[in-house]
Amino acid sequence: MSQSLRPYLQCCRSSLTAALAISNFASQTSERHNVPEIEAKSSPELILNPITISRNEHEKLYIEPSVNSVRISLSIKQADEIEKVLVHKFTRFLQQRAESFFILRRKPVKGYDISFLVTNYHTEHLLKHQLVEFIITFMEEVDKEVSEMKLFLNARARFVAESFLTPFD
Amino acid sequence: MLLLDYQNVLIQSLLTERFSGAPPASIDQVVSDFDGVTFHLSTPESKTKILISINVKCFKELVQYGAQEVLEREYGPYIVNPEPGYDFSVQVDLENLPAEEEAREELIMKLALLKRNAMAAPFERAFDEFTKLAEEASQYTSESAPQGVKEGGDVMAIHYREEEAIYIKASWDRVTVIFSTVFREETDRIFGKVFLQEFVDARRRVVTLQNAPQVLFRSDPPLELEGVPGLNNTGEGEISYVTFGMDHYAGDILDIHSITDQSYVVLFPRHLTPQRRYENISHIQTFRDYFHYHIKASKAYIHTRMRKRTADFLQVLNRARPENEERERKTASGRTFRVQS
Amino acid sequence: MASQTPAVVMDNGTGYSKLGFAGNDSPSFVFPTAIATKAGAGSAGSSGARPAVANKPSFLSGGGGGSSHLSAKRGTEDLDFFIGDEALAAGSGPGYGVNYPIRHGQIENWDYMERFWSNSIFKYLRVEPEDHYFLLTEPPLNPPENRENTAEIMFESFNCAGLYIAVQAVLALAASWTSSKVTDRSLTGTVIDSGDGVTHVIPVAEGYVIGSSIKSIPIAGRDITYFVQSLLRDRGEPDSSLKTAEKVKEEYCYVSPDIVKEFARYDREPDRLLKHTVNSPNGRSVQIDIGYERFLAPEIFFNPEIYSSDFLTPLPNVVDGVIQSSPIDVRRGLYKNIVLSGGSTLYKDFGRRLQRDIRHLVDDRIRASEARSGGARSGGLDVAVVTHKRQRHGPWFGGSLLGQTPEFRSYCHTKAEYDEIGPSIVRRFALLGGPGSS
Repeated sequence: MSQSLRPYLQCCRSSLTAALAISNFASQTSERHNVPEIEAKSSPELILNPITISRNEHEKLYIEPSVNSVRISLSIKQADEIEKVLVHKFTRFLQQRAESFFILRRKPVKGYDISFLVTNYHTEHLLKHQLVEFIITFMEEVDKEVSEMKLFLNARARFVAESFLTPFD
Repeated sequence: MLLLDYQNVLIQSLLTERFSGAPPASIDQVVSDFDGVTFHLSTPESKTKILISINVKCFKELVQYGAQEVLEREYGPYIVNPEPGYDFSVQVDLENLPAEEEAREELIMKLALLKRNAMAAPFERAFDEFTKLAEEASQYTSESAPQGVKEGGDVMAIHYREEEAIYIKASWDRVTVIFSTVFREETDRIFGKVFLQEFVDARRRVVTLQNAPQVLFRSDPPLELEGVPGLNNTGEGEISYVTFGMDHYAGDILDIHSITDQSYVVLFPRHLTPQRRYENISHIQTFRDYFHYHIKASKAYIHTRMRKRTADFLQVLNRARPENEERERKTASGRTFRVQS
Repeated sequence: MASQTPAVVMDNGTGYSKLGFAGNDSPSFVFPTAIATKAGAGSAGSSGARPAVANKPSFLSGGGGGSSHLSAKRGTEDLDFFIGDEALAAGSGPGYGVNYPIRHGQIENWDYMERFWSNSIFKYLRVEPEDHYFLLTEPPLNPPENRENTAEIMFESFNCAGLYIAVQAVLALAASWTSSKVTDRSLTGTVIDSGDGVTHVIPVAEGYVIGSSIKSIPIAGRDITYFVQSLLRDRGEPDSSLKTAEKVKEEYCYVSPDIVKEFARYDREPDRLLKHTVNSPNGRSVQIDIGYERFLAPEIFFNPEIYSSDFLTPLPNVVDGVIQSSPIDVRRGLYKNIVLSGGSTLYKDFGRRLQRDIRHLVDDRIRASEARSGGARSGGLDVAVVTHKRQRHGPWFGGSLLGQTPEFRSYCHTKAEYDEIGPSIVRRFALLGGPGSS
């Protein structure tokens, strides 16, 4: 783990844990509704100040807390166009399966690659520290996966090229 | 599967079955092959006479470069008048097959290679031209050579797909084969670039490939194509050129150029000796499809990885589910409360 | 781009995959839906770097053959596999394990299926998917997520030009249009689809499957083979291997109108007993007798008690039950068009017997209700079982038929539409071959 990654993740972890202090809050605009206020944005007093934690200009975590929900958006490192395409493919693949990832948002917040939405129902029924753990694991693993896929692609390309050229020998 | 077959598997398996003495049956199949080739296998007259017709998009161009002669050489006695709608037809009579097992198999293979042979003509012509030019050139030093020898033959263009083409040019020291290829999708374009770069680097990096053709790749039309009509020169980054070169010291050169996305291959002469020629022509023809196949296979593999990784993530997320959903407890007085996690 | 190319029709079943081009009357390739992968390699993609196992240089199929020093490189195991008959051949040797990606008609292992398709397209069909439209099939009641996964693979990995996914039973109905008995090309009918593993009875109304009424019967081709085998064993025939039983089943079996009479006939006419010669690969040949199994084997559809002790409802009763449980306004259409599909419906007179038995059931019921109503007369109910020449690969042929129609492409979802909307686009397809199309 590189020097700057550990404090970055540590900071994300504490900020997330703090932000996930949310409670049930019924909608003020429509009766018998209960909506994630961070999405509905029905009243400014229910929204807290968003936090951006960034390691560098490419990797950052954006936390938007509100009274009953938190939106967490992640921007994943993309050094070149290969990584860009791989990240895009991977996040799309995950969002396609958002049904089973109950906190995954089907569309990322503008400017980020992938977003999660945690509501008070999630924190009530699930273990909060494990939710935070999941997001941290996700942040770590996603970088690893992308660079592995990139390595694979290069290795495969090399192999394919050599295999094609060999019969000419 | 690593390399693509040169032959059409359907023709091969169908004829193998028919030649093995299976009861004659009528056949009527229209099947496709790579590069917009269509085959029609049928038994129009009787069940024992199998007619195989081929339709190639660029047959007119191929004929210009001598396809008819090549096909006549390969299929001489089997040729019949082309079926309407098709460019070339051969017919085999099951009652009149070669007696020996080996000869039969050879015939099956030959027929299965119909597409390869139809496309081979311009390559063969270029290789012949190269031999001639090389001989002429050997009389001069590189400085004193007359212009005509230096420049080599004309560029032969084969527009084998709607937006893609192969260009072949012979000169005194090499045969240049240029593939132009188009990527219609961003992912493919980027993957394609990675692959093409490796084609270019392979020869430099691997000792055993020193004899392989040199490959260059670029996305503006290469110099060899100067003055070829109908070339899309806008350079909007959608077309790549791959050049394979074959020269006479090293063997073949595979030269892939690409400014944005078009690629080239140059073949050098060791590949041009008659013994090597047949194999090399077969092999280089498959380049485009081989290349596209592997881009797709990589995407499939990446899908596999993503499925696995998604399952891993889900596992981590499911740890957040409390093991025991019933977390209700009672106080001494009988009131219930829930343990907050 | 894909202006004149024929559509690719792929019918991937539990046992066999049928691949070919639309417009043909039979699939170009029929082989087991099996994939052989390097044993131990797993389904690949294990987390972290994959172990650099120094595999023995394997022969990778293909024109020039693999080069040994390259195939030993790591990270290429996903290219090292075989499908179809080659898979079974490779699986019988060391080093490869055979997997079946489809179970009970539904795709279970997407990794294997994706590679199976890749090989189908590039090695067997030899097409550039970008140039072709694809028609795939799915079993009835396939979850929409499976469709989405299929679309994800077809569009993202293979960039196919267009895609249509049709329900096998509906295609089987379309295939029956070739029969001379069928006059109106309706997509209403009951499909009896009997393959190797299981038999389904599927009611279809105007192109839509009535999911709640589908019934399956655990008796199909494999059971008939086993039954023939057990009969051969009981008689102590010199050869009673599964392979021989299968041959006997395919070559000699037929459906009799009445087994008791048929037994008597066999006793009167001994020339109905046949001899079958088995040529074993080592050059020996054995002769075995073929007797009552000729008509007894397919009889297990009509009298299951002779074979099974836990499933006892005869096929005609199941069909009748299925139609009775369907909405009342389509029942007439369902009785009128009972279509057979799949290899286990090919026995001679299978359709005739089925039609007779169902008609008996229907007539009995009508008579009973006439009696109860005290004098009212019923107009009668038409029961017709359709047999046709393309039964064996019914769904594939139906696909081929519909895939060659000029309007087929307008029913497909194209790559551009997929890119625009995403995988959910394949949840809905316009009904191909429905009213208004030719």
